[in-house]
Amino acid sequence: MDKLNLGGISLKDLENVRINIGEVIDEEDEWEEMGPHPKPKMTDLRHWDFKLLDRYKPFYAPQCDVCALCTYGKCDLTGNKRGACGISMEAMQGRIVLLACLIGCSAHTAHGRHMLHDVVRKFGRDVPIDLGPDIAVEAPLTRLICGIKPKTISDFEPVLDYIEEQIVQLTDALHTGQEGSAADFESKALQMGMLDSLGKEVADMIQIACYGMPCGEGDVPLVDVGMGTINQEKPFILVIGHNAPPSIDITDYLTEHGLEDDVEIGGICCTSIDITRRYQKAKIVSALGRQLRVVRTGFSDLIIIDEQCIRADIVEQAKAVGTPVIATNDKAMHGLVDRTDDPADEIIDDLVKGRVDGVAILDPFKLGEIAVKVAMKMHPIRANKDYILSDDDFMMHLDNCIQCGNCTLACPQGLKIGGANKKALEGDTSALAKMFDICVGCGRCEQVCKKGIPIVDVMVKAARPLIANEKGRMRIGRGPIRDTEIRNVGAPIVLGTIPGIIAPIGCGNYPNGTEDVYLIAKEFAERGYIVTMTGCMAIDAALWHDEDGKTLYETHHANFDRGGVLNVGSCVSNAHIHGAAIKVASIFARRNIRANYDEIADYILNRVGACGVAWGAMSQKAASIATGFNRLGIPAVVGPHGVKYRRAFLGRKDIPENWEFIDCRDGSTIRCEPCPEHLLVAAETVEECLPLMAKLCLRVADTPQGRQIKLTHYIDLSKKYLKIMPPDWSMFVRSEADLPLADKELYLKILEEEHDWKIDWDKMKILKGPIRPPDPSFDPTNLARLIREARVK
Amino acid sequence: MKCNGCSPSDFISFDVGNVHGPESGRIASSEVIGGLIKSAKRPLLVIGAEILEGEMIDKAIGIGKKGIPIAATGHSIAGLVDKGYEGEHYYYELHELTNCLLDPEWQGLDGNGNYDVVIFLGITYYYASAMLSALKNFGTDPLIRAVSIDRYYHPHARMTFKNFTPKYDDEYMEMLDRIISVL
Repeated sequence: MDKLNLGGISLKDLENVRINIGEVIDEEDEWEEMGPHPKPKMTDLRHWDFKLLDRYKPFYAPQCDVCALCTYGKCDLTGNKRGACGISMEAMQGRIVLLACLIGCSAHTAHGRHMLHDVVRKFGRDVPIDLGPDIAVEAPLTRLICGIKPKTISDFEPVLDYIEEQIVQLTDALHTGQEGSAADFESKALQMGMLDSLGKEVADMIQIACYGMPCGEGDVPLVDVGMGTINQEKPFILVIGHNAPPSIDITDYLTEHGLEDDVEIGGICCTSIDITRRYQKAKIVSALGRQLRVVRTGFSDLIIIDEQCIRADIVEQAKAVGTPVIATNDKAMHGLVDRTDDPADEIIDDLVKGRVDGVAILDPFKLGEIAVKVAMKMHPIRANKDYILSDDDFMMHLDNCIQCGNCTLACPQGLKIGGANKKALEGDTSALAKMFDICVGCGRCEQVCKKGIPIVDVMVKAARPLIANEKGRMRIGRGPIRDTEIRNVGAPIVLGTIPGIIAPIGCGNYPNGTEDVYLIAKEFAERGYIVTMTGCMAIDAALWHDEDGKTLYETHHANFDRGGVLNVGSCVSNAHIHGAAIKVASIFARRNIRANYDEIADYILNRVGACGVAWGAMSQKAASIATGFNRLGIPAVVGPHGVKYRRAFLGRKDIPENWEFIDCRDGSTIRCEPCPEHLLVAAETVEECLPLMAKLCLRVADTPQGRQIKLTHYIDLSKKYLKIMPPDWSMFVRSEADLPLADKELYLKILEEEHDWKIDWDKMKILKGPIRPPDPSFDPTNLARLIREARVK
Repeated sequence: MKCNGCSPSDFISFDVGNVHGPESGRIASSEVIGGLIKSAKRPLLVIGAEILEGEMIDKAIGIGKKGIPIAATGHSIAGLVDKGYEGEHYYYELHELTNCLLDPEWQGLDGNGNYDVVIFLGITYYYASAMLSALKNFGTDPLIRAVSIDRYYHPHARMTFKNFTPKYDDEYMEMLDRIISVL
């Protein structure tokens, strides 16, 4: 028989028979034995979720005590009362968490789908997924969850179909009269979190394949970061959002027409990260948190918006500084007229003459010429205007402030702006300037000011010298972690001699400004952890320098190895961090990953010392990202604003039976130390966050050497930032070999005197005290099906 | 400050959008809150990182010296260490501590059982608010009375002060002193 192809076959002599072929399974698809859960539906991994939820029980902190989702309500749920439909406060919180994860997963998945639609038109369906000789496991999440090994971008279509179908099913579960159990809402949220990670992988793989973005190279170039890097002498195009193709069309136009040195392009948020992966003359102006302030400076001659993380009032804000806006995505039209099919010259003329505040152009491949021409024509019109307050206006506004405190009550950070205004009026602008970094740039203060003071503008004025000097350097997003890197570090990570993978992710809603991000990355990189940055945290870390004026990206290598500081890429690129953990199981431990989610998550939970940190988590995407990490067995710490997500997954170290693991060797139950102690937890300050993250890198399968190294960092960070020995440190000691090398005798003495442990001082050995004795062959799992005897049967 | 002298504007949350539901924190005087703490069988003072600003740490220590155990969250423990405080105190992460407080079987920081009155002081506003919400909504059986003696109106607390702007710092500090004097 001839080779079958997609399509249909009509059989001779059988006029009414046609066989449709939707998928052809070829021999290469037998690359690994199919695991138990290909494209798992919402209950297929419920058993795994319930294992997690049993140990890490959901903790709820309601933001609102009522439910108003249907006309039975509003229902008062205070005190865990039930609403008219019967839902409890607890289940209602789980429902809201699921909603957040659905929104987040939808954003990433729709981004991938949108991009696939566009790039297929330009590049065709057969763009190969080829990440070079160092990467054979090209799409670990796609393999793990769907059992698919993608060869071309069109192979992601069934993956997207699967996610989209699940989104519909899980959204249905939110309806009044559907799900009623908090635990089941959480299981569904975990399902959504997992699919969010998959959607991100699809989106990033498509843009890597189509746009030739880096495929995991460590020596990727550096680019400029910061508001001070914009050359205001040139026309400047500001791009905002996450979907790169429209902005790439602009950079392609600049390149093709030799205008790279004549027109500046820079961006906010992930689009800027992604365009620099292809065009290194682009600037990364800022992370999300400074959007309003970047717009208000009036630097931009044109603003391009695509999708996600765009201010809802962007057109109004841009209009105030005379900047036209072009919307490029049907999900974020902002009331603008769709001019996609209009002649370019007409659109350009309307924007430059100010006949319209903006337009929508929904074909990304029509954008380059229009955007560049508009910016070049707008620049001389706008060049003579200064949109930053004059000295006189600045003083006038300060003088108008009556210290009423309304701005403070409206400020998400509770910034005491009135006091800073008063100091500035007296000649000291330092307090106001310092607030520029702590301010999250929402603008709520201005709306409640009784005197109509443009507080954001006042703050920008005070911080102008800082803005002018805000010049950082950042490596471009390198994309996936190479298989060859995993071969080198798989053993040190699992054995613990590389103490952990630290993954700063997400938005810029920090409690105390961007410097905390720098501190987190620096502290862990200098201790030999691997720091994998993505999204806004990757940008904000680049704003800070050491005493030699170097950023972390300049002082640390960018390989996935000890002490590396990697910019993995945009938000969708953080799928590669999941991917790295999966590859450790696949490449180092030789576990089958195909459609084998629970086994691999179990492996990661017990063995791979990784911890995410979303220090400024703000969006629903951050909720789904963290939840996706959690299902895969990776804990995450959020900053204090993260409590507003309403739910944490907290372990109880004081309940020993919660920490029982199965030994795969014989199926026996072993009571272990609480590792990792939590799956999702908030820290109040960065000083608390640092030792907490070190603790969350501990794993039950740590070798003595690994435990010793991890415990040393945990104790050291606690002493450094909290000024105490961590009260629970002894729980993690299994034998004298786990103790920090320095002062070992001192630690033994503390164990004897304060914890009543028995010590053989001649042999310097612990005789009695630990939760369990050391056992180098211990093979922990939470899944009974992995007991070796069970496997043999 | 007299609680019966409150005006509706006093009930505005420090974060003005933090509007929640039918049960709002009662604004109470130092004497009333002090009386509640004094009558508690198992009180616990929970402090956070804002305690390190100004003289608040001294007020916390003042309360601690009246025999109230202190749970130091955030990195507030560093302040107690700097002050050489030797009274009963513990480091605990606030999320974790609140979770434990919601468990009637929890044995407490000293192994002698859970607490009936918890007092929040010097904790980042929105973090404290969320934890007070958890205690209000789920700490009902047995009832845990969670009060705030911060400079903010906390709608999820059972009892709370009103908002104090910086220019009323002295008045706020005086209120803390009066609580200490009641204990």
